[in-house]
Amino acid sequence: MFETGIPKLDDYLSGGIPSGKSLIYHTQPGVEGDIFGMQTLYWNLHKGHKGVYVASNSAPYAVKGRFKEFGWNVEKFDQLSIVDCFSALMGADSSERYVVSNPEDIVAIDDAISKAMENAAGGVIVFESLSTIMDHCGEKETLKYMEKWKKYSTAYDNVVICNFTAWPYAKSTLKRIKELFDAVITISGIAKRVIFGQYYGVSKVNWVAKSQKRSISFKVLRPGGVKIFIPKVLVTGPYNAGKSSFIHAISSRAISVDRLGTTVAMDHDFIDHKGFTADIFGTPGQERFDPLLRMLSGEAMGVFLLIDSTKPSTFPRAKKMLEMTRAHGLPYLVVANKQDLPDALSVNAIRKKMKIPESVPIISASVAKKQGVFEAFETLIDMITKAI
Amino acid sequence: MTKYDLGIPELDKALGGIQSGTNVVLVGPPMCGKDILVKQILHAGLRDGDGVILVSTGEPGESIFKWCEQHKLGIENYKNRFGIVDCVSKTLGMDVSDTQNIKRASSPVDLTGIGVKISQFFEQFYVKDKLSKARLAVDSLSTMLMYSNLQTVFRFLHVFTGRIKAADALGIYVLEAGMHDDKTVATLKKLFDGVIEIKEENGEFFIKTAGMGSTPGKWMKYEITGPKIVIKGD
Ligand SMILES: Nc1nc2c(ncn2[C@@H]2O[C@H](COP(=O)(O)OP(=O)(O)O)[C@@H](O)[C@H]2O)c(=O)[nH]1
Ligand SMILES: [Mg+2]
Repeated sequence: MFETGIPKLDDYLSGGIPSGKSLIYHTQPGVEGDIFGMQTLYWNLHKGHKGVYVASNSAPYAVKGRFKEFGWNVEKFDQLSIVDCFSALMGADSSERYVVSNPEDIVAIDDAISKAMENAAGGVIVFESLSTIMDHCGEKETLKYMEKWKKYSTAYDNVVICNFTAWPYAKSTLKRIKELFDAVITISGIAKRVIFGQYYGVSKVNWVAKSQKRSISFKVLRPGGVKIFIPKVLVTGPYNAGKSSFIHAISSRAISVDRLGTTVAMDHDFIDHKGFTADIFGTPGQERFDPLLRMLSGEAMGVFLLIDSTKPSTFPRAKKMLEMTRAHGLPYLVVANKQDLPDALSVNAIRKKMKIPESVPIISASVAKKQGVFEAFETLIDMITKAI
Repeated sequence: MTKYDLGIPELDKALGGIQSGTNVVLVGPPMCGKDILVKQILHAGLRDGDGVILVSTGEPGESIFKWCEQHKLGIENYKNRFGIVDCVSKTLGMDVSDTQNIKRASSPVDLTGIGVKISQFFEQFYVKDKLSKARLAVDSLSTMLMYSNLQTVFRFLHVFTGRIKAADALGIYVLEAGMHDDKTVATLKKLFDGVIEIKEENGEFFIKTAGMGSTPGKWMKYEITGPKIVIKGD
């Protein structure tokens, strides 16, 4: 089993890609999808697996440079080899182990790939761009050879992973691709006047009995690579519960945007934690801002309800704020803050007093001491990604 | 309806502005100032408040900015609206990373990467900076056609001319005259709404537009003066 190293994707694939299987990252033009193949390769090299990168769009040094953009130094891996299907196009020399002298000849490409796959037995073969090889060698011919490479991968216990840009090819070609690969991961953007927001989803996976077709939005960070992105998470709760402190403790930036000491404008920050990123917004606590609260909560994907565990008198207010921010069914959890203080109520006492259903997690926290903060984040992210 | 000007008063007057969503091919032989004309059209966009994207297959991003500075185009006032997709630097083996204004594709072969960078600039201009107009120039299709076949370039253009329409933007694509067979030119022309044609005769330069305005354009004489072309009469 080979993991993809793409956050959440390995869960959707029941752990990863079994050897002998093939996966295609099927990307809408204009969306940054080729990073997926790179990330999967890096992840596996990092785990000690052998790897082959079939470079068709970039010179080998440019390939290494691109990996570096994401903070990934691939030069330290001796078990990586590059099949250079590029340099000859530019009339340039190459010192790679596998050099294709005519990248427009599928037989020459096959010759190099077959050798590379055999030498990388038990490893991961990543195509920088299957579409470019199709463009140069023909759609049908390339896919015919892909069948052969798939057979090789069964023989040598490789997995084959392709980046693919879904240009407007013939319908029959696009259909054939979806049949050919054991897993199809679709990577697209939301297109209005321009493309914005990117998400990926599993369109096909033939080794998982009951796969769900869901999509999840992502961001590409430099360094960092593909991260799941939750566009809007709210932090609400009564005045002085510790909302600003929570956002500050969890955020990846040094300064949070708490404009006037106590929250009048919105706290807003960015979190980057264990493969997940989110834009987090803190709502003001005072009642006079309630109209604003409803406005801020539009399109939120999850809510942290912060409470001061030493102030049961504020609990009714907390519940009211939750109602105002929380569209029906939106995942939320309670952060029972200030547990470091002697008079803090226990989680159980809080659940009783506030009548919080058992299904809703209450996280015991001391935000000032950074306790419970990331537990809260991971728990809510898990709830959000399950709800999507 | 949004309209676009080319930044050449005589032509703009004749055209009465170009409809948004128009894709124009600029055809002409070498050494007639196509590069300058492209920059002139983009510069007009910067002055008009448009977001501007130049896909460059011939010149690294830095030297384009240097050229603009040398000709005192005041680019520094518009820097957050001017994006270059540089397809050259990485093929020259330069160890350069992206900047705010210059995003680099791996090579002219890397149409996937070029497409991603174009889309990122569009997203920046329309979504983040809330601009409502943009122009894209690809200089040149001829270089792309040296490394990818006609069908491949056609598919790429099919997608991005569509995006220009969806974004109510203006697209300008440079094609070297005399470098491609008739089939190539005829196939590509299907993708474009209009043509700007330039030619040289006895050491004099002429320009003509077609398909963009109500009246078909006529040949106008022009001269290259510094960073722009100037119309000198019919
Ligand atoms: N003892 C203790 N105090 C805390 C904790 N978290 C926040 N505070 C304090 O509670 C006060 C209010 O915090 P703030 O984040 O501004 O609350 P907000 O009004 O909800 O944004 C500040 O004085 C914080 O220092 C905690 O975990 N323990
Ligand atoms: Mg606050």
